[in-house]
Amino acid sequence: MRNLWLVAKHEYVHTVARRGFIIGTLAIPLGLIGLIALIILVEGSGKNNLPVGYVDHTGVLEASRQATLPDAGDHVEIWAFPDEEAALAALEREEIQALFVLPADYLETQRSDLYYLEEPPSNDVWGEFDDFVRINVTAGLPQALQQRLLDGAGITVYDTVSGREFSERNVVNMVLPFVATFVFFFATMVGAGYMLGIVANEKENRTMEIMVSSVTPGQLIGGKTAGLLAASLTQLGIYVVATVVGLKLAMPYIPELQQATVPWDYLAMMALFFLPAYALIGAMMVAIGASVTELQQGQQVAGLLNLVFMLPIFLLPIFFSNPGHPLLVFFTFFPTSSFLTVSLRWGLGTVPLWQLAISWILLVASALFMVWVAARIFRAGMLRYGQPLNLKGAVEAIRAK
Amino acid sequence: MSIVQVSNLAKRFGATQAVADVSFTVEPGEIFGLLGPNGAGKTTTIRMMLDIFRPDEGTVRIFGGDLDMEKKRRIGYMPEERGLYKDQKLEPTLVYLATLKGLDEKTARSRLGPWLERFDLAVHSEKKVQELSKGMQQKAQIIATLLHEPDLIVIDEPFSGLDPVSTRLVKQILEEQRQAGHSVLMSTHQMYQVEALADRIVLIDEGQTVLYGAVQEIKRSFAGNAVTIEGQGDFSQIPGVLETSNRNGSWHLALEIGTDPQSVFRTLAARENVRIESFALEEPSLDDIFINVVQNGAAKLEVGNA
Repeated sequence: MRNLWLVAKHEYVHTVARRGFIIGTLAIPLGLIGLIALIILVEGSGKNNLPVGYVDHTGVLEASRQATLPDAGDHVEIWAFPDEEAALAALEREEIQALFVLPADYLETQRSDLYYLEEPPSNDVWGEFDDFVRINVTAGLPQALQQRLLDGAGITVYDTVSGREFSERNVVNMVLPFVATFVFFFATMVGAGYMLGIVANEKENRTMEIMVSSVTPGQLIGGKTAGLLAASLTQLGIYVVATVVGLKLAMPYIPELQQATVPWDYLAMMALFFLPAYALIGAMMVAIGASVTELQQGQQVAGLLNLVFMLPIFLLPIFFSNPGHPLLVFFTFFPTSSFLTVSLRWGLGTVPLWQLAISWILLVASALFMVWVAARIFRAGMLRYGQPLNLKGAVEAIRAK
Repeated sequence: MSIVQVSNLAKRFGATQAVADVSFTVEPGEIFGLLGPNGAGKTTTIRMMLDIFRPDEGTVRIFGGDLDMEKKRRIGYMPEERGLYKDQKLEPTLVYLATLKGLDEKTARSRLGPWLERFDLAVHSEKKVQELSKGMQQKAQIIATLLHEPDLIVIDEPFSGLDPVSTRLVKQILEEQRQAGHSVLMSTHQMYQVEALADRIVLIDEGQTVLYGAVQEIKRSFAGNAVTIEGQGDFSQIPGVLETSNRNGSWHLALEIGTDPQSVFRTLAARENVRIESFALEEPSLDDIFINVVQNGAAKLEVGNA
């Protein structure tokens, strides 16, 4: 146990100190910070805070009602003008950025005129004036009815099995799992790539024989896997913290984010599938690394293997159109594709519990089997310098008593 | 109790019988030579001994029993295919390897200093391994083998890549280890390196033990299988002679096993173009014995109380 810990600690420290790891780990948070800064910059510099004017010929608008708008303090001011002449003069003097004129038959036609000098008002300003008109038009109705009318139409789908809900008003909650899927998957594949590199480098450096004279092959590979897993989790942790902080910072500037909720069910499911998927890919990489003589050879083989794991990505149109498609159900059960398939299906729809259970059991079983196979291939191939372990040799190693 | 007891080891890789039948023991406080030509099965034997390969047949007992983690910590191993993590600094690498052998970091660091000084590596301790010369890396490997003060030292081709000064230093260190009561198993094909160091040897060829015993007794038993001649003339093409060489003006003839030195003398005396000033039987070097046994296919031989 001590040796396993020592190998894991050494691998972790060495991995997180690598320049490539540091750059890869900081790239996403820095990119996120850059994106948020850009949003703030665009929002701040581009927003026209001049008031909006209106001339109301219907007689239903009252300027004082703008105080009842949600987040009224963040809105531009809305000024009432008695007639077009005074309003247009104010527009000419650039006291207001735009002028809405509601004709007397507005309530019947819902047509109004908009005046502006060079740039039309932004969608936000337009939306704020729209809210102001709605509040005025529905004034006098019972509060519950008014609120319902202000909310407008919105379809929310409830899944009775999982209890999850999908709403067109909460796009962020649908997108978040989708983004997280790729972050998880990216971290897994990066970790697997490191695993391949470590085993192949151990052979290339000729350190393997010294190591296995001090620790068992199981301790060596187990320790390295644990160290790398810890490094991957560190990376993921930094991504998650950076994302949460980034979202908090971006929230005031992106109203849609305010409706976002943490997808705990999704995160729990990902955690359940993450470890066996990581073990499966890692074990495959160990087997490849132990079979080849140079890292470059291993990377070529691993490239093909990565394609197998990424196969579900090529089926994205099916995920969007029908997350329960039989082909996707098949990929849900297939161990190399289950992690990605389940994540994407979960983000875009629901996965029946029985499918999740079978998928997870198959994934865990295949991961355990692959770890056992990798340990045998590793033992047979670890000291083959200059001579790769061919398929026949690998089969013999697996079948050996 | 023998430190190492290897009995009838055999190992096959596909169609190749790497080791067919090898047996020997290593006793406490001795330097033991595992000798043989390239490809004889020395490295495979060591790997089976250290449980890196599993033997097809035969048994290995280390410190009186099967090899376990506790016993692995009492062994210092320097393999023939050696290397260190090239992109890591020398000192942390050596400390890491020592901790895997059971030392705590503090002890490893305190022991490392004198070794680095002794091998002139102290000034390079913060350099990455890839920045060191091949000879320096070789010396670092030796430190990694000895830092945890093992009871059994197993070194495969210890002198390859070393300059004469470093070779002498390593010999001196191996001698010190013997005097400290530690056992050394040294594998090499360089017989002359073993001759002055080893107490006993086993010579394997094509995976089989062909010679096994104390160095002095082996040399005594092979005395008469080489002669030294002072004289002039043609000393080649003599029946029963394996190899003829001239060293410092003297002719050195390695004889096949069973060749009577007297018959060689008579053959030379009969040659008109040969003038003999002296003719003496010599104690053979391990090189001569090696050539005799390996090239001449001598029968399996155990000498003395092997």
